[in-house]
Amino acid sequence: MANVLEIQGLSKNYGSVTALQNLSLQVPQGSIYGLLGPNGSGKTTTLGIVLDVLKASAGTFQWFGQPYTGTVKRSIGAILETPNFYPYLSAYKNLQIAADIKKAPHSDIPQVLEMTGLAARQNSPFRTFSLGMKQRLALASALLGNPEVLVLDEPTNGLDPQGIADVRNLIRNIAAQGKTIILASHLLDEVEKVCTHVAVLQKGILKAEGNVSNILAQQDQVLITVPQPEKALSLLQNLPFVESIKTEREWLQLVLKNGYSSTDINKTLFENGIVASQIMVRKKSLESQFLEIVNK
Amino acid sequence: MLSLLRTELRKLLPYRTFWVILGIYVLMLFLILHMGSSVTINGQSAGSNFYKFPDFWMMLTYIASWFNLLLGILIIILVTDEFSFRTFRQQVIDGLFRSEVIAAKLLVVVLVAFFATLVLTVLGLGFGLVYAPNISAEKITGNMMYLVYYFVQALGYMSLAMLFGFLLRKNGLAIIAFLVFSKIIEPILRFPLDDQLDQFFPVKTFSSLTPMPGQDILDSALGASVALSPQQAVLPAAAYILLFVGLSYTLLKARDL
Repeated sequence: MANVLEIQGLSKNYGSVTALQNLSLQVPQGSIYGLLGPNGSGKTTTLGIVLDVLKASAGTFQWFGQPYTGTVKRSIGAILETPNFYPYLSAYKNLQIAADIKKAPHSDIPQVLEMTGLAARQNSPFRTFSLGMKQRLALASALLGNPEVLVLDEPTNGLDPQGIADVRNLIRNIAAQGKTIILASHLLDEVEKVCTHVAVLQKGILKAEGNVSNILAQQDQVLITVPQPEKALSLLQNLPFVESIKTEREWLQLVLKNGYSSTDINKTLFENGIVASQIMVRKKSLESQFLEIVNK
Repeated sequence: MLSLLRTELRKLLPYRTFWVILGIYVLMLFLILHMGSSVTINGQSAGSNFYKFPDFWMMLTYIASWFNLLLGILIIILVTDEFSFRTFRQQVIDGLFRSEVIAAKLLVVVLVAFFATLVLTVLGLGFGLVYAPNISAEKITGNMMYLVYYFVQALGYMSLAMLFGFLLRKNGLAIIAFLVFSKIIEPILRFPLDDQLDQFFPVKTFSSLTPMPGQDILDSALGASVALSPQQAVLPAAAYILLFVGLSYTLLKARDL
């Protein structure tokens, strides 16, 4: 499938600070592409460059295989960092200005206000909005003109749990229409729940990229205790689906290849005359997976 | 162009600061013109002579030129607001070219200059027709060219203000820099230089467009001070306006938003 966005060798220095170092990645059409990384890892810098508000120190990028022009810009709806609006204007009037610039019909405005749950407050000035409502208005503005691509920088920032769930549903619904979504987040859980692809950034360096299922693979640990640990150990070490094995006190810690589970271990042990006294599955936390990736 | 103007009006018309500053401008002019007849010169009240056409247009534009700094401050606020609200950034993301960002603000500058000139015309005709002695159509239209000079001058001060706005991005800083440059730095720079040269400095050029009435009499008494005549100042002023707008664009294009 064609790529919506291609980035080659992007770097950005702020004085002596390197915010981004030789970043290359491709965003496939129709994907929900997560840019994952801690604060200050270069997510916003990357988006700022591809959205034409920050100057790259080196490197190039193309949207839809083309240089970034007015028409291409208007097929992208984007939020960068903060919701940016005129504080003294109402939500509706702010969206009128945004629609003017995007050359989007003003008839889109009631619809996007409805989608983001702001219809009731459309005539209140922006400055009276809570952070969550400001965030929703930014999302509403990004949706104007029914863009092919949505670029969202920390879209659930400042939202309450209901708001977070709403926004994630909205993102999934939009993606279901075949739109491409690029999502920057420092929340691993968010990327894991929403995205199909992920790029992991740390200190401006790309640490990993690919399908979410590959990068954030759920390799669970299986812990067992058996009466005869030596025998079990020699047996388990030779099993093809055991990736690694460690002993910790009375426990044997196993990591299995994809597609195998604790059931397979139990069955094998039993068939070889070993009866486990305890079997436990421990989910590896997302945080520990993330730390594994960035510390690679 | 028209859609840029429409979008700018959407921002300006509901903005209270915009109306307050324009209101102060109109009120100050009105008050000064109202008091004009009680100005005393050599122990004699100027009386209705103050409003005498066609000289009144020169007096009017000279007085109005004091308040160009106010219009400049208005433009600085409008430009730096968009940096602090980050709306320039959002609008460039949404599809505006940087050249359109500058063009939109230039349209506001022209609009405000037009508004100010219109206010002067109305006040001039109003006060003149009510108070001036010996009114005739010929006298009234006699020096109306000064309104055009004032229009160019207002454009000049506001384009300089716009440059400070794009350069410094923070409203307080830009306003102070604009005032200090216009009133202190440029005069100091001019001080050691030859008069032939310093008449071409930007603020000096702009102020030459609306000379003080009676300057010619002063000159003949004290020896001529070198300054461009309004006619001579129009071209250099236009060149400065182009330069300041061009520099604003260069700054916007070269830097991160």
